[in-house]
Amino acid sequence: MPELWELSAEEIARRVRAREVSAAEVLESCLDRTARVEPLVGAYLEIFEGESRARAAEIDRRIAAGEDPGPLAGVPVALKDNLSLTGRAVTCGSRILAGYLAPYTATAVERLLAAGAVPLGRANMDEFAMGSSCESSVYQCTRNPWDLARVPGGSSGGPAAAVAAGSVPLSFGSDTGGSIRQPAAFCGVVGVKPSYGRVSRYGLVAFASSLDQIGPMACNVRDAALGLQMIAGADPRDATCAEEPVGDYLETIEEGIAGLRIGVIREIDAERLGGDVARNWRESLDRLAAAGAELVEVSVPGIGAAVAVYCVIATSEASANLARFDGVRYGFRSPGADSLADLYFESRSEGFGPEVKRRLMLGTFALSSGYCEAYYGRARSVLERMRWELDAALEQADLLVTPTAPSAAFLLGEKVDDPLAMYLSDIFTTPANLAGLSAIAVPSGVSADGLPLSLQILGRRFAEAGVLRAARAFERELGWVVAPGFRGAEVMPS
Amino acid sequence: MALTHEDVRKIATLARLRLTPREEERFAGQLSDVVDYIDQLQGLAAETPETAVEGMRERVDQPGECLPRETFLANAPASLDAFLLVPEVKGSGDA
Repeated sequence: MPELWELSAEEIARRVRAREVSAAEVLESCLDRTARVEPLVGAYLEIFEGESRARAAEIDRRIAAGEDPGPLAGVPVALKDNLSLTGRAVTCGSRILAGYLAPYTATAVERLLAAGAVPLGRANMDEFAMGSSCESSVYQCTRNPWDLARVPGGSSGGPAAAVAAGSVPLSFGSDTGGSIRQPAAFCGVVGVKPSYGRVSRYGLVAFASSLDQIGPMACNVRDAALGLQMIAGADPRDATCAEEPVGDYLETIEEGIAGLRIGVIREIDAERLGGDVARNWRESLDRLAAAGAELVEVSVPGIGAAVAVYCVIATSEASANLARFDGVRYGFRSPGADSLADLYFESRSEGFGPEVKRRLMLGTFALSSGYCEAYYGRARSVLERMRWELDAALEQADLLVTPTAPSAAFLLGEKVDDPLAMYLSDIFTTPANLAGLSAIAVPSGVSADGLPLSLQILGRRFAEAGVLRAARAFERELGWVVAPGFRGAEVMPS
Repeated sequence: MALTHEDVRKIATLARLRLTPREEERFAGQLSDVVDYIDQLQGLAAETPETAVEGMRERVDQPGECLPRETFLANAPASLDAFLLVPEVKGSGDA
């Protein structure tokens, strides 16, 4: 008999709704498991112990009264530290938001609560979602549950590690250039980057507003689909959130991929990555073919420039979005400033960490007089071209596939002093953000030394149903079970 | 394109950041590396044969309910009645 914390979100909700188990029992099992793994992994900045117990009790009370709390009844979830929940801290892993309490709840979180989910805690992230390793959080280091000497990926490293470690079956992060998919890949879990406009960004602290999307992370594709189902759909509070209807993802998820055309991008030469990633990539293509897909070659000539375009667009938008952190209205204020100008300079200089400063500088440079047309303007044009090329490729193929990341999880500290090397770990994930496409990272096996590897599947805008269905078929073919070994721990947590 | 220390200082001022000499040194090198990398954009094809115009939906400009002022002021580092408190505005002229 599996422990309650080992159950999928779907199974937890089914049992809670059928009164086979109470939401309180599920929560206690997850809190117990969290207490055992958290000293090793450090996924959370805060556990909502009291509040989560109160919510679970409320779910049980509603069940007892004959009500249906919803499709996530009693499912404990982790929230990335940039998602607002009224009255709770939201710090974006940054000193500059120390002490800030969310005055309102994000639409996505509101919908999770309405579906019966129980937020268990606030999970760690790279500062302002800027990073690929979770190491730029000023609060703590999060470790990869598969190997504690390695990074969990980033920026949603906390939510990914929380799910992989068995603390919660479902977590929610944000993805601006790969921040859900790359940590999902490193931690051996599923991560969805919905199409731009699929999920409301209201209540998500903005990083790069034309790229940011909230999405789910889970141990299996069905749970990820269920999580996305709950948060997707139009929201009058976010003008970029699309009116496009949301289908029923679970209804078609088992339909398989027989006859689907899956595009392999000629310009991405995964063989060049060598070793395990190249071997795993070939195996993944074989699995897709074995599941009945027709593999076709497509061309996206501009895709090699994705990270360069991303570096310009994301940092430019960040430099504008993060101008609001000035020590006046909320968050950290430098105590030493004796004029308003000093207050801005000192609060920002003391409040932001090195990676955020680096990106604010780059974005400010790209938008500055004399350089704006050459950098920001040029990047926008190249982006439009890449978007057009990707759309054309997705006319020839139903879906596209790439590896999710160019390597398995790297060592803590390995890339901290080489920002460009860190940025390049998002080489396969940035195109989906730039083009607004739907995308998923699904585990694809392990490297020779037992670290998870991942396949990325891209679909047209608002084609989440197809992307999830293909990922589910792939997962079935592979037979993946999330079972991290906590390498480096003296005792394997129970 | 290599960024000089002077460039880095100028950008930092625009970004309202004050850098230590050590940060200035490190950022000059790191930002030059990244700018060299993004310079690849200059030589790339950027013509788009046809672009679907996707504008943002216009929202009806209707006044709605706001969160109460006290809710926002609760997060302010310093406030007095309905106002945010800041140090004196005159003084350093570079803001």
